[in-house]
Amino acid sequence: MKRIAIALLGIILLAGLTATASEAGKLLIWADDTRTPIMLNVAADFTAVYGVEVEVQEIDFGEIRGQLATAGPAGEGPDILIGAHDWLGELILNGLVEPVVLEPATISDFNPVAVDAFMWGDLLYGVPYATENVALIRNTDLVPEAPATFEDLLATAVTLTDLEAGKYGFLIQQPDPYHTFALHSAGGGYIFGKDEDGVLDPCDMGLDNEGSIAGAILLDQMVKDGIEIAGAGYNEVTGAFNAGNLGMMIGGPWTLPGAKDGGINYGVSAIPPIAGNAPGVFVGVQGFMISAFSENKVLANLFVKDFLISTDVMLGLYIQGDRPPAYLPALAFLSGNDDIQGFAAAAATAVPMPKIAEMGSVWSAWSDALELIVNQELDPTTAMKDAANQIRLLLGCE
Amino acid sequence: MIGHYVAKHAAKLVLLGLLCAVAVYVCVVLIGMEAYGVAALPLLGAGLITYIFLSEKRYPLRWLVPGLVFLSVMVVYPIGYTIVASFSNIGTGHMLSKEQAVTQLLSRTYAPDDAVTYTYIAFADTAGTVALVLQAENGWILYRDGVASAIDPSDARLVDEDGDGAPDRFSDSVRLSIPQIVPRLSEFEAYRIEYGGTLIGLENLSQFRTRAPQYAYDPESETMTDQTTGVVYTALDGIFTAENGDEIYPGYWVWKGLANYVALITNPQVSGPFLRVFLWTFAFAFLTTVLNFTLGLGTAILVNDPYLRFRTLYRVILVVPYALPAFVTILVWSGMLNQHFGIINQVLVDLFGQGARIEWLEDALMAKVSILLVNLWLGYPYMMIICLGALQSISPSLYEAARVDGATWWQQFRKITLPLLLMPLGPLLVGTFAFNFNNFNLIWLLTEGRPPIAGAMTPAGHTDILISYTYRLAFEGARGNQLGLAAAVSTMIFVIIATISAFNFRMTGALEELSKNV
Amino acid sequence: MYNKHTLLGGLWRHALILFLCAFSIFPVLWVISASFNATDNMQLQQLIPPRPTIDHYRQLFTSDRYKFASWLINSLKVTLITASLTVVLAGLGAYAFSRFRFKGRRVGLLSLLLIQMFPQMLAMVALFLLVLSLGEIFPWAGLNTHTAIILVYLGGAMGFNTWLMKGYFDTIPRSLEESAKVDGATPFQAFYKIILPLARPILATIFILSFITTYGELIIASILLRSNDQFTLPVGMHLMIADQYSQRWGMFSAGAIVAMLPFLVMFVLSQRSLVSGLTRGSVKE
Repeated sequence: MKRIAIALLGIILLAGLTATASEAGKLLIWADDTRTPIMLNVAADFTAVYGVEVEVQEIDFGEIRGQLATAGPAGEGPDILIGAHDWLGELILNGLVEPVVLEPATISDFNPVAVDAFMWGDLLYGVPYATENVALIRNTDLVPEAPATFEDLLATAVTLTDLEAGKYGFLIQQPDPYHTFALHSAGGGYIFGKDEDGVLDPCDMGLDNEGSIAGAILLDQMVKDGIEIAGAGYNEVTGAFNAGNLGMMIGGPWTLPGAKDGGINYGVSAIPPIAGNAPGVFVGVQGFMISAFSENKVLANLFVKDFLISTDVMLGLYIQGDRPPAYLPALAFLSGNDDIQGFAAAAATAVPMPKIAEMGSVWSAWSDALELIVNQELDPTTAMKDAANQIRLLLGCE
Repeated sequence: MIGHYVAKHAAKLVLLGLLCAVAVYVCVVLIGMEAYGVAALPLLGAGLITYIFLSEKRYPLRWLVPGLVFLSVMVVYPIGYTIVASFSNIGTGHMLSKEQAVTQLLSRTYAPDDAVTYTYIAFADTAGTVALVLQAENGWILYRDGVASAIDPSDARLVDEDGDGAPDRFSDSVRLSIPQIVPRLSEFEAYRIEYGGTLIGLENLSQFRTRAPQYAYDPESETMTDQTTGVVYTALDGIFTAENGDEIYPGYWVWKGLANYVALITNPQVSGPFLRVFLWTFAFAFLTTVLNFTLGLGTAILVNDPYLRFRTLYRVILVVPYALPAFVTILVWSGMLNQHFGIINQVLVDLFGQGARIEWLEDALMAKVSILLVNLWLGYPYMMIICLGALQSISPSLYEAARVDGATWWQQFRKITLPLLLMPLGPLLVGTFAFNFNNFNLIWLLTEGRPPIAGAMTPAGHTDILISYTYRLAFEGARGNQLGLAAAVSTMIFVIIATISAFNFRMTGALEELSKNV
Repeated sequence: MYNKHTLLGGLWRHALILFLCAFSIFPVLWVISASFNATDNMQLQQLIPPRPTIDHYRQLFTSDRYKFASWLINSLKVTLITASLTVVLAGLGAYAFSRFRFKGRRVGLLSLLLIQMFPQMLAMVALFLLVLSLGEIFPWAGLNTHTAIILVYLGGAMGFNTWLMKGYFDTIPRSLEESAKVDGATPFQAFYKIILPLARPILATIFILSFITTYGELIIASILLRSNDQFTLPVGMHLMIADQYSQRWGMFSAGAIVAMLPFLVMFVLSQRSLVSGLTRGSVKE
């Protein structure tokens, strides 16, 4: 047994391999699984041209922030990271990212909403490459024409819904504030208002204003009419849609591959006006950011500004990620793509998702309110008021 | 005498010597890394281990050393870290140490109004040493070996070989092309060229520029002054704050003493749903331990039967829930329990009509039942495995004797099996209770604590247990992640569970067993 | 404790066990079904997929990004080493607690239990920093190495395992070691030659428990392992479903099923050891 023990110890020692981390003269990129394949290609191209080694590490999308906060200051972080614009609040608070300076001419080549999303104050903190927002996605076999108004939509939904047969007319995945925002925003609801400097003011909470509550009441009505059902999460809604059992849903570009796999004929269009008002949807923007703890900032800037900003690379990222490009020349390429146009139509009244770190407290409270409404535990007005008050308490506002 | 001793224990002494040598090495490296506090630990550890292995009186401890080494480093140290962190405000905006934050702020530069932009040429000699020639309208600068000096464009050392007006050689150094420069960019980036009272730094691939630090730091008054605006920021609670409330990021962590704990106790946000969440946590841990143990033991007894055919096959099938990763199976369960789309309700509705539809995850009570049910499914194989192992330790002769005395199966179970099992398993049940008290995974993956409690002061759900509720508070409340608060919560939960467990030990008399066991 | 079965006795026993098997297997059937289902959805309504395909299983072994085979090997390597060493560490400690009387014994045992109760929410940050520093001193044991992850896992070796083993050792009569001592054996020899063979059931039990815990461990592994070819199974498979909106449930389910097999094989093999050592006639009471 002693021999076995020694052998095992030997194996442990041999089992080690050297670690990898950000070192001078080499670029380290953190990307999640969707972005990694295209980044590997881009990295290979960059190395071929400049002779600089580029390594791409695959890290869970949800983990990048947390790991950056610990690894960055410890010298183990990346030079470049790919993430969403609403991370900026947290990242800037922790001093983790660097501003990026772009020529005005280059900036104008980008979707202004995308650029705005990556601004903080008057500094740009990343190069955006994709935007995403939700729109109305319908099964064109069940709903041939896009409904003109939301009221039409609901009427169509009622005719299509047959709970016992497992057929549904219209579903919004719940509890999901991101997808439900359209209902609140149509009437003038908002999350955080802006102060005089144009910066979001966490204590100007709009979740319990008239518009937001009107949206909640609408949702409540949908439940009472039997259109919206409890327990319909992302998997359930897309599962039903992809199986042809759902007429319409609110979804983003990520739902399309599943619909295609299921052989569904679908159409993408803007969410129709509610009570005459166009609903606003959240826009999420993804981009490349440079770590403040990088030892290769000039190299990283070279990569991000000179190499990445090109129609080829941006299109490549689109093909891999299915999100409309933020780079206008690449977007122009796709003008014949109906899906992209549908999402663009929905994004006409888009609102960038708030990026201040206070958003964390908002999602849970709002989510709970929506669930209480869908479960018919609480009336919509009280639910939204409670949520707004919970958030105010969490943020220490009056 | 000593020679005899050394010879007999040669191997041991050599190993101990090696250990001490390694410890000294580690200590030196740590001191080199300026981790003074930690540097003493390897020496202490090695010293302790050496003592244990040389002292006869401490012989029993030698058996414990290997396991304890790993335990102290991998488990006790993180606990210590957590407890220490609970006295600070570490979290979003306060992740860095003060030195790190100040260093970062001081390294921020801006281009002053009179900034000069230089294009540059880089030259490298055969040894790889680089010389830079910075070119601007008002003159050229030579930067070599860390020294910057003026240089005239017509200097003899600058040789233009191909007649294009740009120097190709500097003495014996050759000009670097762009592809040769790029891999060395980071090296150039690190240069801080001081010249004529200004600081010049690499701006991008082809330019250098004069820079000035954006902030001036006064350690005495602990203020940062922004050179571009003149605004003074004072260190306040880990962030440099101006008079009007503006803050500079990043901040740094500071000691807060008991502030986190006080906040936990006095903060209405926390005390609101706290009692309710605590009661459910306790009930859940208790019920699930009892349920899982009962089913596990029952199953173990069934499949332990030597007369049962297909025993091994059954055991393998029964252990399958344990063999799949929990996050897969919990997800599958949440799908099965879905009110409209899940298979369980579909079967019920098919059999008994629409009225039989159960709100598994939406109703407060049923959600709790669902949690217990899924945890039973997940946990009884573990109990079965343990009981199977423990059942082997009961000597069959005891059963023989009982049978001879005419005892029934139930009497044998109650008087022999159960007591003899509870002896080794008692503490384990206490452990299972504690584990489920902190069973974040299950709650988060199955219900996320839902369904929400209407009218709660802070977001809380009916199936939230202490740890999931406070996780949400620390990581999804206010501004980003409040690790210091989370650490305080962890410590408090530990105090609660340790107290309960100590009480349990007393009740089950397990402590007496310890002393009695010879 | 057991008698030969009557016909009725045999029937209800088998019926009961079959019911329990059904209870245990039912959700697993869903996973199996998803692994053959062409659409990547976990919330299925039918047990038999409408268009079954073995594509997912094929992709497991041919995909570039999801290097299932290497993850499997990594996992087996880490798990076998960890489980074996865990049995050794826990066994040594348990024997000491069981047989020797020394200062700090009671406190030690209690502390072992209490330490396990500390919520490890922040431990991840601490461990990350620890391994980071470790890597600067010993590069072969730093971040992204299997050595580091094994060392971390061994931290949990002494805990409940020691309690379980100690309880088992307590039931082995001391007369055996007494007679060995008379014959001139050291305590370690008595432990190695006499007690261990008798303790096979508990050694097998601890091995199984440690195996499955390590095999399925996700959190620590995902923090310490960084590059794709170093990943263990849980980390790699988590990648497949990590992106909230593009989850490959089909391949994931296939992976879960395949990943389960080594554990089941090991479980079957260890069942032989689960027969009580005390019946082997080495005890002369």
